[in-house]
Amino acid sequence: MADESTLSIQTERVEKAVIVSPQGRVDGSNAAVLEGAIREQLEVGEKVLVFDFKDLNYISSAGLRVFLMTARRLQGEGGKTLFFGLSDPIAHIFEISGFSAILSIYDSRDDTLAAL
Amino acid sequence: MSKSPTRLLVVDDEEDLELLIRQKFRRLIRQDEIDFVFAHNGKEALEKLAEHREIRLVLSDINMPVMDGLTLLSQLEEIRPEIRAVIVSAYGDMENIRTAMNRGAFDFVTKPIDFNDLEITIRKTLKHIETMQNALESRDRLVAITRELEVATQVQMSILPRDRSHSETHEIQAMMIPAREIGGDFYNYFSLDDALIGLIIADVSGKGIPAALFTMVTQTLLKGAVRNFASPARCLSEVNELLAEDNESCVFVTVFYGILDLRDGSFRYCNGGHNPPRLVRSDSGVEMLPTTGNVVLGVFPGHGYVDGEVQLNPGDTLFLYTDGISEAQNARSEEFGEERLDEKLTSLKQATARDVVNEVVDAVHLFVEDTPQSDDITCIALRFNAILSA
Repeated sequence: MADESTLSIQTERVEKAVIVSPQGRVDGSNAAVLEGAIREQLEVGEKVLVFDFKDLNYISSAGLRVFLMTARRLQGEGGKTLFFGLSDPIAHIFEISGFSAILSIYDSRDDTLAAL
Repeated sequence: MSKSPTRLLVVDDEEDLELLIRQKFRRLIRQDEIDFVFAHNGKEALEKLAEHREIRLVLSDINMPVMDGLTLLSQLEEIRPEIRAVIVSAYGDMENIRTAMNRGAFDFVTKPIDFNDLEITIRKTLKHIETMQNALESRDRLVAITRELEVATQVQMSILPRDRSHSETHEIQAMMIPAREIGGDFYNYFSLDDALIGLIIADVSGKGIPAALFTMVTQTLLKGAVRNFASPARCLSEVNELLAEDNESCVFVTVFYGILDLRDGSFRYCNGGHNPPRLVRSDSGVEMLPTTGNVVLGVFPGHGYVDGEVQLNPGDTLFLYTDGISEAQNARSEEFGEERLDEKLTSLKQATARDVVNEVVDAVHLFVEDTPQSDDITCIALRFNAILSA
């Protein structure tokens, strides 16, 4: 289990996508780390990224920016960005900022993978 | 073009050291690479340094008359901290060498002097001085840029309305307390004509220089848009398209823009991903303005912004705020939160706009106590007093 105050990132290749799991918190101090980890996936040509937010405790606007950037880039390349496992506070932020109207958000990992 | 030599100060009471150094380093001196100034004790050294302000490297003996090397070191540390000193001392004089290092000497060489080793030590120290100077210059440049941007931000802020707007029909009070780092929030209110009052509140993602630049651009674009389009949604669509062009880094801004019609109390608004404002009903309670289902500006070109509308009755107050209020944290990392905000607003149902703003901000300060503020705190209250008579 990740330390609540830091960020660790795990990636897992499944059949049709790469699942990226940021754990802990994403803010201005470590958003670049997350950006780097995502860029690695995009650079090897991954077109479908699934973000598992199950162990994500906090996200600042600097962190949101990274996910928006990913979603926009994949959209432009005909790819997909999907999210699941949002905690209530994070779901609230996605709701307020309007992201939930624009991004593909699912309840569980199974639902997400079934949608691919 | 010949560059001027790097000047070093050598401090030693042995008269023949000067000759020896000039001879051993004659090649470098002739090539104008380095140049030496000599002093025979600490006091003379300080005089020479006052005369040659460009000197950054001092080679000094320890045992000297008048003022010894250790005293010189202490003085240098205080008056010329940018100078690096290399101590020259007898082999085996570990105690003095240790003291010198503790007083801030950069390195040492032992007597009898091995001139190859001395040259390596001089080059190494000069390299260090150069790196340090470059770092300082970069830092100074960055500080200067940040200052200039701060000034630019202040200029932008200074054209925002600050005074309370108060009339028979309505009262507006705004407050903004910027966090230490430049960034993020702005607000505005203005008369579109005799009957229409515009209200804007916005929050740019991130902090620092990119956020400050994005803030200025957004403010400017909004100023133009509100004059050109009667619908808040149309304004936000327009600004969104312009911001989203070439916005590779996906900096974004949450914007709420609403227009109150004083002739009938209707309030038309569009919410681009901003915290939903509150409508404080004087006769019932606090309502959250329904979202218009719209996303933040700057990231998704072509997104369709739509208008929402609510009806205000005389006595009702609109309260707009940024997450600097709801997410203000105390020492236990607890957030002020929307629940506390709504409770506070409920207690202010009959209050003036000025009291609403002051009391909410006071409540936030009381809650966080002396925890440093990490985000801009911004809010506006608009109280609708009476319908504008024709």
